[in-house]
Amino acid sequence: MLSGARAALSVPGLVLFASYLGFGGLLFGMGFPLLPGLLSTLLIWALPAQVILVGGLASGTALPAIALAVGLSSIRLLPMVVAIAPYVRGRRRNTWAELLCAHYVAMTVWVEGSRLLPHLPAEGRLAFTLGLGNGLIGISLCGTLVGYLLAGELPLPLAAALLFLTPASFTILMVRGSRTALDWLALGFGLASAPLVAGLGGGMDLMIGGVGGGTLAYLIARWLRRRAA
Amino acid sequence: MIYDNAWVAAAIVIFVGFLPTEIWRWLAVLAGRRVEEGSELFLWIKGVATALLAAVVGRLVFVPTGPLVDLPLSIRLGAIAAGVVAFLLVRRSVLAGVVMAELVLLAGIWWG
Repeated sequence: MLSGARAALSVPGLVLFASYLGFGGLLFGMGFPLLPGLLSTLLIWALPAQVILVGGLASGTALPAIALAVGLSSIRLLPMVVAIAPYVRGRRRNTWAELLCAHYVAMTVWVEGSRLLPHLPAEGRLAFTLGLGNGLIGISLCGTLVGYLLAGELPLPLAAALLFLTPASFTILMVRGSRTALDWLALGFGLASAPLVAGLGGGMDLMIGGVGGGTLAYLIARWLRRRAA
Repeated sequence: MIYDNAWVAAAIVIFVGFLPTEIWRWLAVLAGRRVEEGSELFLWIKGVATALLAAVVGRLVFVPTGPLVDLPLSIRLGAIAAGVVAFLLVRRSVLAGVVMAELVLLAGIWWG
């Protein structure tokens, strides 16, 4: 457990702190109350879903459309949990422990877990995952709190810089994560859709940009693959 | 705003944010061995999830709120582009990219 918590104090932990610093600034900028904002970090524990939730609320999107968008953005967690579960699982299966561990799986825990867990003895992996997950959530809660409190105190240029942390870091993280044609196309279509659908209300903008852009990217990538084969 | 009341906001976080996210983690544990990495379904999910996140990030850049509203679009786009270029040039360092994006943004505010 302690070695997992120590692993949380690392470069990915620092990036996470900065990202949640930006999210705290975003919460403050949207006028979202602090404690429910912290609750979102603890319970949702997936920054893209949190950004979609708060961003959607601020632009007046209908709640069912936000829930659908959050759900669609979080489907990516399913294959991540499926992929990492064999490492966390010891010799015998314990469904409750697996459900608890699955909560911690988001981008950072997944990347760090996939990197570190295979080198550990099987019986220590569950405790390591809990230590790593709780450590990273703790760091992120601090980031959210500090970002929220800072945003009210900072002079305008720095408040703008704080709010800008979220789009800047996410764009770069998505560029880093893009490997295949599908990734690049989906990233490009999603970004480019924003100015085109900005006026549409009720969640239509996200449906067109996300579901439409993603499906288009999938179809083009499949066509490219077939042509190359 | 609908979320001004903290209890309403907490309920929204649980029902509109937590449950639609956590359900995929639970499904993965209970029934997840059926979605294989690299399958057509997996690829479509990946495409939609990526585009959805990119659309939200794009909205934060193109249609911003709060202290970013008064900045010209050229500065916001220039800062993002500078961040991506710095990331690619400096050993694919996320930190270098974010710092560069922020510096360009602040320079734009300062001299803008």
